[in-house]
Amino acid sequence: MKTKQNSDPSTQAAASGRGPSLGMGSQGKETPLGVALSGAERRRRETKWVHRALPAGTHWEGVWVFGDYRNYFQNRVTLQLIAKGNQLARKLGADMTVLVLGSQIHQYAMEYTAHGADVVMVVDHPSLKNYQVETYVRVVSQLVQNFKPEIFLAGATAFGREFFPRLAKRLNTGLSADCVALEIDRSKRLLIQTTPAFGGELLADIITPEHRPQMATVHPGVFVERIHDREATARILYPEVDIEAEERVQLIRSRPEQSRKGGLEEADVVIVGGKGLGSKENFQMLFELARLLGGEVGATRPVILSGWTEESRLLGQTGKNVKPKLLITAGTSGAVQYTTGIHGAETIIAINRDPHAPIFKMADLGLVGDAKTVLSLLLEKLRKRL
Amino acid sequence: MVLDPKMKQAVIRRTVRKFAEEKLVPAAAEMDEKAEFPARVAEEMAALQYFGLEIPAAYAGAGLDSVSYAIVIEEISKASGAMGLCISVHNSVSAFPVYEFGKESQKQAFLVPMAKGEKIGTFCLTEPNAGSDASSIETTAVRDGDGYILNGSKIFVTNGGVSGLNLIFAITNPSQRGREYSVFVVESEREGLEKGAQEDLMGMRGNPVCPIVLNDCRVPRENLLSEEGQGMRIALSTLDGGRIGIGSQALGIAQACLEASIKYAQERYQFGKRIADFGAIQGFLADMATRIEAARLLILRASSLRDRKMPHSRESAMAKLFASETAVDAARIGLQIHGGYGYSKAYPIERYYRDAKVCEIYEGTSEVQRIVIARSLMNK
Amino acid sequence: MNIVVCIKQVPDTPNIRIDRERMTIIRDGVESIINPLDRIALEAALDLKQKEGGKISVLTMGPSQSEEALREALAAGADEAILLTDPGFAGADTLATSKVIASAISRMDPFPDLILCGKQTIDSDTGHVGPQLAEELNLPQVCGVTEIHVEMNALVVKQLSDGFQNTYRVSFPALLTVSQGLNVPRHIPLGDLEQAFLDGRVLRWGLKELDLRPEEVGFSGSATTVVRLYRPPQKRKGEVVSGSSQTLAEHLIAKLVSLSILDEDEAE
Repeated sequence: MKTKQNSDPSTQAAASGRGPSLGMGSQGKETPLGVALSGAERRRRETKWVHRALPAGTHWEGVWVFGDYRNYFQNRVTLQLIAKGNQLARKLGADMTVLVLGSQIHQYAMEYTAHGADVVMVVDHPSLKNYQVETYVRVVSQLVQNFKPEIFLAGATAFGREFFPRLAKRLNTGLSADCVALEIDRSKRLLIQTTPAFGGELLADIITPEHRPQMATVHPGVFVERIHDREATARILYPEVDIEAEERVQLIRSRPEQSRKGGLEEADVVIVGGKGLGSKENFQMLFELARLLGGEVGATRPVILSGWTEESRLLGQTGKNVKPKLLITAGTSGAVQYTTGIHGAETIIAINRDPHAPIFKMADLGLVGDAKTVLSLLLEKLRKRL
Repeated sequence: MVLDPKMKQAVIRRTVRKFAEEKLVPAAAEMDEKAEFPARVAEEMAALQYFGLEIPAAYAGAGLDSVSYAIVIEEISKASGAMGLCISVHNSVSAFPVYEFGKESQKQAFLVPMAKGEKIGTFCLTEPNAGSDASSIETTAVRDGDGYILNGSKIFVTNGGVSGLNLIFAITNPSQRGREYSVFVVESEREGLEKGAQEDLMGMRGNPVCPIVLNDCRVPRENLLSEEGQGMRIALSTLDGGRIGIGSQALGIAQACLEASIKYAQERYQFGKRIADFGAIQGFLADMATRIEAARLLILRASSLRDRKMPHSRESAMAKLFASETAVDAARIGLQIHGGYGYSKAYPIERYYRDAKVCEIYEGTSEVQRIVIARSLMNK
Repeated sequence: MNIVVCIKQVPDTPNIRIDRERMTIIRDGVESIINPLDRIALEAALDLKQKEGGKISVLTMGPSQSEEALREALAAGADEAILLTDPGFAGADTLATSKVIASAISRMDPFPDLILCGKQTIDSDTGHVGPQLAEELNLPQVCGVTEIHVEMNALVVKQLSDGFQNTYRVSFPALLTVSQGLNVPRHIPLGDLEQAFLDGRVLRWGLKELDLRPEEVGFSGSATTVVRLYRPPQKRKGEVVSGSSQTLAEHLIAKLVSLSILDEDEAE
């Protein structure tokens, strides 16, 4: 199986799951996602970009979406993917199918029809009641091999990110993780998958030139769902599959996660303090501020290390990710290790006395000044108002 | 000479830095303010073998080579000069002689607890009337049966306040004053050894420096290191390693000054721009960085020679001399860069300034180092 | 209990500066570290070994300098370290990577009872290698584990997934990927670091030792290709304001009002 390659040296890089793995490479200049091959190496490997016809009899067509209906009203990613899947399918002149596995799930077939599916494929069986990785891989891989969709999408839920890679491996195909954009290159009938790299510092466009289906997990909230349409119709299929439950993993207990009242990840307003606040006493100020604004307090690692507050408030790569309406980040310089935890905030206000601090690049509003002073003034004013 | 750090040294540096950033940096200011030795952090360091850096594993040490040792001292000193001083003196000047000159029974009794950090060590040489002129000490050790009775007072004993074992440099042959010295390993609990109040010093305040007085302190023969009369030889043997240790400790302080100055210069705005954009400041930073690089290389050279068991007295003297003066210089310029804020305790630079100065004085003053170097250049 | 821990050497991202013009990392003075979640996986293995006895083998697929990560793992307490390295492995996506690692694990005698990986890396962020390894080796998997307990003939593990805390019983042999919060890795004694760098402690296996064909691994064995790498378009407004603290505080209040976090008020 010869693989194709773009001849532009700046795009030789890749990342695990999407191409050459980071840092690997025997020669050439390193790029963030791997090694840019030297000229000689490129010429050695370069093949012309040709869309190779698949061997006769293996015609892959159609856009599939994995229907994750758990937490149906809060978790909208499947509906978002149906909308996008439709768009992709139209460009390819193909059908968009939602695949639903579970037990007593007919209502979801109806819901997905109403939200735009052309086809809903249902596998309803008691063994599929709980989402179990290997059991689902067994069922879905059979369906993929029978029906041969060219594209298969799933939401990047925790389950999706555990299930899809295993499925992709079983199908010996490529998978990209947590995509933030999807487009079709019609001339080559390829799905262009855009994923973040380095905690979101960069974006990578990835293709799966040869293998099928082209699989991707998609970040929730990227696409917009279609409005529920009661008049919509779809073909509902009940394919035959062998169902063999995985015995080696037994679910003993499943409890909804304790959502602490006012937990960081649920808060509408998050105020984050960094080392630039100066002291533990100054950091304490944030708690009153948060209370007045109806929010929660977060912290960066240097603050945790200095013992100014507890580890559960840590945000970032080794801490929590938050998506509040408003995030105020004070006295933080904007290290990538921290900022990966706050990309999702709707509005970011940063306060730092260094105008060149990287945090300002990701802020909607940047205030150049001493964080402690500005926040104490804010606190004063708020106390008077509220 | 190998210029690039080997993989092992890179990992050691990174490992120590991580520990120092997590445990020492947050404690350093309070250590200085309260003049308090951080016992809990020291315990953690002991478990990680910071008190047995160059001692072989057979005696519970980490068995590091000299180059790696220098790196450890530098990184710890960058976070806290006082703690860097503690482990440098403990390792180079106190544990080292016990390893070099101790009998097996002494190694088991003294070296192993030192390596484990159960007993922190001191080297008590300096007296009120004997600083650079070490030979003019007055502490005596008189034979008494099968042991010795020690009398005298030692001052400015680094680690004194928390030490468990103290190497006491004494005259064993008073009739031939100034000629025969011996070294005794004296346990802090031993009757007759008294520790005075912690010195109120300009810097290195987190190190419990204090006087130690010997008042008819009786020590058994087993505590004599090597033989009578070997004291000067033992003291001189610690010089090279001690210089590398203190040099590294000074380098750590200098590096801390540089990093603090770079950060401040980029944050501080005057006349509409960052002060880092002014030529004068850039000149300061460039000179500071260059000197630090040179100091690091001098230390590397001395420690590499030491690892290859080649003579390195001149190189270690150069390293200590240059690194200590670089530290003082870096602190002075660094504080200048910080301007008024540098003068306040809100920034660590003033602590670095106070900590750096003593590096030019102890373990052989800069003047003594110059004499050593000059003599080594001449045919004699 | 025989445990295999898969680790990856990654750049220490907080210190990375990206040269946006040339689309490269500024590697100057950038450290390479063990991927933080892999370090947590190793720590879990050390805890299990302490309780159950056994042997820990650490594996990584990478260029020669990845050896540094393996040495660090040895210093932390791993018994055996294997570097899977070969020019042919270069350019691998997770499909090819999992192939190589699975091949190495298959060669181990005895086959491990447990394979531990970090849930994802800080550079690639995919989280694919764990599940794909499990698939290749036909092992049960649980990802994102926050607690591990050993029972008679099985592991009991906890996982936080999509708003649920799940408890599973998993039979041996199994593969687990670990999440933040499982443990706090210990600091490494310096003597152990020194010992870890002695000769012969790291084995090296390449294509030959693993008996793999070139087209199964590396770039040739990959299914995906990166065709473009770029900076994300700036979505943030990036308005920067300077002034006196008073001015800034007022600006802040105005913004809070515009976001409807505060009500329009004539006070002040």
